Amino acid sequence: MTTFDSSILSLVTFIPLAGALLLLIMPRRDRETRWVALGVSVVAFLASLHLPVHLVRSQTGFQFEVNRPWISSPNIHYHMGVDGISMWLVVLTTFLTPLCVLISWKSIHDRVKEFFILLLVLETALIGVFTALDLFLFYFFWEATLIPMALLIGMYGHGRKVYAAIKFFLYTMIASMFMLAAILWLYAKTGTFDFVSVQAAIHGGQVEGFAAAAPWLFLGFFIAFAVKVPLFPFHTWLPDAHVEAPTAGSVLLAGVLLKMGTYGMLRFNLGLFPEQSRSNAWWVMILALIGIIYGALVAMVQPNLKKLIAYSSISHLGFVVLGIFSFTQAGLDGATFVMLAHGVSTGALFMLAGVLYERRHTYEIAEFGGLATPMPVYATFFLFVTLASVGLPLLNGFIGEFLVLSGAFRDRAVYGVLGATGVIWSACYLLWMYQRVFYGKVTHEVNLTLPDLDGREQAALWPTVIAALVMGVAPLLWLNSIDPAVQSALAPFSILASKVVGR
Amino acid sequence: MNSAAMLPQAADYMRLLPEIVLTVFGMIVMVVDAAAEGQDKERHIEKTLGTIALIGSLAALAATFVQAQYPGFAFWNMVQVDSFSVFFHLLITAVTTVVILTSYEYMAVQQIRAGEYYALILFGAVGMSLMSSAVELVLIFIALEISSISTYVLAGFRRHEATSSESSVKYFLLGSFATAFFLYGVALMFGATGSTNISTIEDVLRSGQIPLLAYAGVALMFVGLGFKVAAAPFHVWTPDVYEGAPSPVVGFMSTAPKAAVFAVLLRIMFEANAPGRIGLIWVVAALSMTIGNLGALVQDNIKRLLAYSSIAHAGYLLVAFAALPNNGIPAAMFYTASYAAMNVGAFAVISHFGGAGERYVTLEDYSGLGRRSPLLAATLTIFLLSLIGIPITGGFFAKFYVFSAALQANLVGLVIIGVLNSAVGAYYYLRIIVVMYMREPQREAPVARIPLGLGCALAISLAATIYLGVLPGRVLEYASRTATAWSR
Amino acid sequence: MTPDLHLWLIPVLPLIGAAVNGVLGKRFSRQTVVAVALLFSGAAFAMALWVASQFSSLQTPHIETLATWLRAGDFQADFAFYLDQLSLVMLLVVTGVGFLIHIYSVGYMWEEGGFYRFFAYLNLFMFFMLTLVLASNYLVMFIGWEGVGLASYLLIGFWFTKDSAASAGKKAFIVNRIGDFGFLIALFLMIQHFGSLNFTEVGTLWVSPEFGGPPAGVWTWIGLLLMVGAAGKSAQIPLYVWLPDAMEGPTPVSALIHAATMVTAGVYMVSRSHAIFQHAPEAMMVVAIIGTLTALFAATIGMCQTDIKKVLAYSTVSQLGYMFIACGVGAFSAGIFHLMTHAFFKGLLFLAAGSVIHAVGGEQDMRRMGGLRTKIPWTFWTMTAGTFAIAGFPPLAGFFSKDAILWKAYSSPYGSWVYWAIGVFTAFLTSFYMFRQWFLTFFGEYRGEEHAEESHGHGAHGHGGVHESPAVMLVPLVILALLSVCGGWIGSERFDKFLAPVYGFTNGSHSESQEIQPALRELQTRTEENGSETLLTGISVSAALLGFLLAWQLYHRRPQLPARIAASLGGFYQAVLHKYYVDEFYATVFVKPLIDGSTKLLWHGVDRDIIDAGVDDSADGVREVSDTVRHMQSGNIRSYAGWVAAGAAVVIFYMVWMGTR
Repeated sequence: MTTFDSSILSLVTFIPLAGALLLLIMPRRDRETRWVALGVSVVAFLASLHLPVHLVRSQTGFQFEVNRPWISSPNIHYHMGVDGISMWLVVLTTFLTPLCVLISWKSIHDRVKEFFILLLVLETALIGVFTALDLFLFYFFWEATLIPMALLIGMYGHGRKVYAAIKFFLYTMIASMFMLAAILWLYAKTGTFDFVSVQAAIHGGQVEGFAAAAPWLFLGFFIAFAVKVPLFPFHTWLPDAHVEAPTAGSVLLAGVLLKMGTYGMLRFNLGLFPEQSRSNAWWVMILALIGIIYGALVAMVQPNLKKLIAYSSISHLGFVVLGIFSFTQAGLDGATFVMLAHGVSTGALFMLAGVLYERRHTYEIAEFGGLATPMPVYATFFLFVTLASVGLPLLNGFIGEFLVLSGAFRDRAVYGVLGATGVIWSACYLLWMYQRVFYGKVTHEVNLTLPDLDGREQAALWPTVIAALVMGVAPLLWLNSIDPAVQSALAPFSILASKVVGR
Repeated sequence: MNSAAMLPQAADYMRLLPEIVLTVFGMIVMVVDAAAEGQDKERHIEKTLGTIALIGSLAALAATFVQAQYPGFAFWNMVQVDSFSVFFHLLITAVTTVVILTSYEYMAVQQIRAGEYYALILFGAVGMSLMSSAVELVLIFIALEISSISTYVLAGFRRHEATSSESSVKYFLLGSFATAFFLYGVALMFGATGSTNISTIEDVLRSGQIPLLAYAGVALMFVGLGFKVAAAPFHVWTPDVYEGAPSPVVGFMSTAPKAAVFAVLLRIMFEANAPGRIGLIWVVAALSMTIGNLGALVQDNIKRLLAYSSIAHAGYLLVAFAALPNNGIPAAMFYTASYAAMNVGAFAVISHFGGAGERYVTLEDYSGLGRRSPLLAATLTIFLLSLIGIPITGGFFAKFYVFSAALQANLVGLVIIGVLNSAVGAYYYLRIIVVMYMREPQREAPVARIPLGLGCALAISLAATIYLGVLPGRVLEYASRTATAWSR
Repeated sequence: MTPDLHLWLIPVLPLIGAAVNGVLGKRFSRQTVVAVALLFSGAAFAMALWVASQFSSLQTPHIETLATWLRAGDFQADFAFYLDQLSLVMLLVVTGVGFLIHIYSVGYMWEEGGFYRFFAYLNLFMFFMLTLVLASNYLVMFIGWEGVGLASYLLIGFWFTKDSAASAGKKAFIVNRIGDFGFLIALFLMIQHFGSLNFTEVGTLWVSPEFGGPPAGVWTWIGLLLMVGAAGKSAQIPLYVWLPDAMEGPTPVSALIHAATMVTAGVYMVSRSHAIFQHAPEAMMVVAIIGTLTALFAATIGMCQTDIKKVLAYSTVSQLGYMFIACGVGAFSAGIFHLMTHAFFKGLLFLAAGSVIHAVGGEQDMRRMGGLRTKIPWTFWTMTAGTFAIAGFPPLAGFFSKDAILWKAYSSPYGSWVYWAIGVFTAFLTSFYMFRQWFLTFFGEYRGEEHAEESHGHGAHGHGGVHESPAVMLVPLVILALLSVCGGWIGSERFDKFLAPVYGFTNGSHSESQEIQPALRELQTRTEENGSETLLTGISVSAALLGFLLAWQLYHRRPQLPARIAASLGGFYQAVLHKYYVDEFYATVFVKPLIDGSTKLLWHGVDRDIIDAGVDDSADGVREVSDTVRHMQSGNIRSYAGWVAAGAAVVIFYMVWMGTR
């Protein structure tokens, strides 16, 4: 463990923040601001690549750990570390942020400085969520994501942006209060916030009164995460937030923020309360299934492009939850993979939607039609990404969904079958949307003259497309590190672990 | 009690140094003001007066450190200097300093003939500091009166405004009404225990059977103090008074006296370990949190809104009183500190932005502030976030300690009420942020550039808020020393 | 030590072609595009031939593993390719017919916009189809399975400015997805019970002594679910609806994807899964029944179609039905045999039809054709070959394969005379509607007007009246015609023998399971039942003849008759004409309720009126409470004092009470 290895996480986490501070003191010059933001985010991405390169696949537990006392009382540590799961989420975040900068290059022209500061602060907070191993630190970053996101929506959004921002803030804020209460209880009983030691204490049965409190603690965490995911019926904030949010906001919101919820479930609900997770799995999975089907059906009839994608996210995240609570190797592998895949492809979808908005200032599908004629390149990109999220084999969407479903099926056949209907629904709403937007004759004169993608936009889109392809063809690059991490995550479920897919 | 026999030592005066310093400077201010009477170099005069007051408060601050060197009793066990009192001395003098810095510009803009204004602030500070170190109920009562009277007057300082005088009168009448309760309480307590000295009372109360009178005494004292800290149901005066009073004064009286009164409450509740504490406080805390937050939801006047919010925060603070001493005391002390930091700061912004005659105090006036004056808006945002209780601000740790203390005392119900309340509370603070950043201004409220004094004030309270939010450790440790000292 | 054949190259070659044309095609000249497309598809064909030449020297199955695709816990799936007699046949058919159709398309699409796009898609299709037939496990097969679906989606919607085309493509994809849903579930079951998706293991595990094999129910379920997938891909009842609409695509596409190769993937998959079906007699029966019904059903619809391509489409559905009958009665090899011959003659028929359409300027309605015999002789003669082949006239290809199927439908242990009877009747219908088409198109007077309006955006065919197609289109026609004539001469026995190892090896040495090797059993039983077979053959041939005569009567001798018959049939005729209103039925029973339900019930109902409204209401509730709190602030000092006093009273009483306790 070199010193660099121990400092890399702090580096990756705080590079964006440093960039934000730099912007803060920089004079208000939009061009420079953009370039600095781009540079910083790219540097953060490159730095984050150190993690997958140097992660020791064979070794279980957390790596690149840094653990220093931060506040003596309460006993809070600056404890960071990643395993095969959280590592990729970090990389996903750093991967998407530069693209967000690129895609917001022109579309943000007012209060540019503030925008990029918020964006970078948000990035730091997001990375922190995935790297924190101290419950307090985790909660700290968790809350910290709220403000910049809400401001991004409220300041740079459109339409009922204020309503959307407040709705987003309050929903998640109120929900996370319950998590805070649960964390406090754990601290009161164990005297530490350190995830690892709390986990040890719980599994060692050294927490008095745990048996009685556990169901409530489970719920406390679960509600906070369920709202973030979002799980039916807590999902209604998402469409509003997405429709009004600026493109970059949507990209990070769908790409990363939602994953905070599923990651939390995986790490904390399963990690700290295995029995409760097990006993509550049946209804959680039902909620997930409702999410899958319900989200898809509602997405199908959305007249608004962004709302459609938003609801499709609800559907996709349903798969993740389904996989997590199947407690099978395949299920959790798949769930993690879907998180990443969905981050890439939905991020791309939102960028594409944003490109359209820049040109026409509307998301109404009825306003389009026949776009494949004036914008062939754009249409091709869109089709590719659409196919990726439809779950076509050899693209990223398929791998995760397949594993999740096989895991769920292994756990409860009915759930697997119901979840598998998702492959039909996704084809329905996405292809129908694609037809309405791109096929047929051009119905509105304005659309005839729409310019095709320019270099900058393509620069923002190519990485996602390539990532989608590579993830689909060579998923092992990811699964190799996810698999062991999942195995240790499933350790408490050893009985189930033996029941993983296959004999 | 042989020290009672002999005359006060030099050390005794040292143990009272800050109060002495403040008093002296208060007098100087009055004298200079009187001397300047008649000549119309008022603007000039004001500056000098302000400066004198500022020096005074700073000197008091310094004096506190001197005082800290002489722990122990003074003046026949009426005053006790310990980590606890020092803590509150520092807090109060610091707040006074910030308030004076804020008042500079305010006075100028409002064209208030400064005169006794600064003096009153200093005198108020005397009373408050005395409260925190007095361990003798009668002395506490006197100190309470000193601070109260000066705040009554300060509240009415916007002479041109009817609301101001009204608020002053209300505050005065109700205030005296409440202090009466306190006095009765003292009397009953004396009847019950034969002493007004807290440590004696404690010994009596600890030794077996607690007389019924003591309960009544505690009740009455609690009513009086509860009024001062604006805890429901004794909060009713708060909105009107805060709305009418000058913003810097509101900033002052919503923090310093509260801190002092809470200090007294702590001494009575914990050091004297008053009986029947938990249930009483449980109810009052829950009530204050709920009423405060609900009341604030629909306010459009920022001062009124913050008035309700201060009620709610009194509620949160009281939660700590229901907890066990060794967690409750430090939690409460930390809360007073961080609340002081953020609230004084918030009111500093408000008083600057209010403009002449405090014309701009409604939410609409704040719309688009983020565009017109990004710095001011950002500062206020941070204070508001701290009031919500978002991480990296003092407000977060304040709530955090209070709630975890309560949890350790197994007050789960109270914690849940508190948590839900802070969720509700988030909404109205958020409203201000939203208005500042996401609304376009309806009517252009002018934004003057930030003068030096205010700048310093903001910088100090901002620094304090962030410091308490990032590295709360030191302060909390200091506070917890008291707890250990008391639970001997 | 088997030689490494680099099988992976076969699918990858066309992929490269697709990539090159797809990315750079816009800048290429048409000639370059053609060169690229033909080069790579041709290379694949050549490679396939070479592999075939090497085949004798391999011990089968020959498996080449490239890399691991995905792994989760103990489950693993590789990029691995699998060569045995079955996949070899498919390989040759796909690459061969595919290559011919590539050539044909050069001529057919020359005038079209998006020329490069078309060939890129076509190559892409080749890639996926070859992956499908060369896969060595179900997951890689699924890649091809979904991929061909994508290619067909793109190619059906090639003229995407036409709404009907776009919708048809979407419909095809979605209906296929419904099938894939079944396929996926089947895969999950396999994973659960075999721990693997490799053909070898899924096939062999059940005989390995230490593993008793899953309960019979599981076999059946897997079989049925696979059939669901097959029904989607191979357009069987109830999922056939997409195929007729798919005719919106350019004709070469119809020939390649919707006649010769893709639609037969289901048949291939079922016979690939014979090991499973042999354990699930119920599933096999379902397959046979579905096949039978589809064959009959589609044939009846085919009788009334007037669009030359629609007729062929329904005939394809019906012919696929035949193949499933074969699989359903355990005569997998016969099914594959028909698959092959069908690829020849149906490919031919479509291309010929395309040539006709090309000749009459994009007209597709047979009622506006006629008398083309002399005008486009090449097309006429090739089409004639195809027509006779599909009608099952000896000694053409169709006769042998169809005969083999019918015979086994009757004689196989899973067979029944019902299958046979319906099969024969369908054969009669087939020959009737095919000859109806033949007469309508080529005989009588030309009923179309010169300079026919171009339909389906199939531009530039308006020029100068009816004309024969260029050589580049005729050459493939001729080759396919030859194949349709001679393709069957191998004879089904030899074909059986050739494929026997495929169906034998799964239970190679295990002779105890006699009844589950119909293929082998056939070989023995054939000889002594010769007599009855010749009889049955006679019947089916005469059925074909009958069909021919009827068509000749109605559409050549007395062309006015059909109208009268139609009138007399009335309602039934209408029903058939409107394809039994199946599309309308689906639309009203599934599509519309789904959309309305999602809009009104879920979105507006649950999301807006329940959840959001609930949240907002509670928020308003809080606001109201807060209003009342505010109004407690009367501003009146006496009331304030009252509050304080009241509060004080309460506090005091409480404390006193505490004290007295």
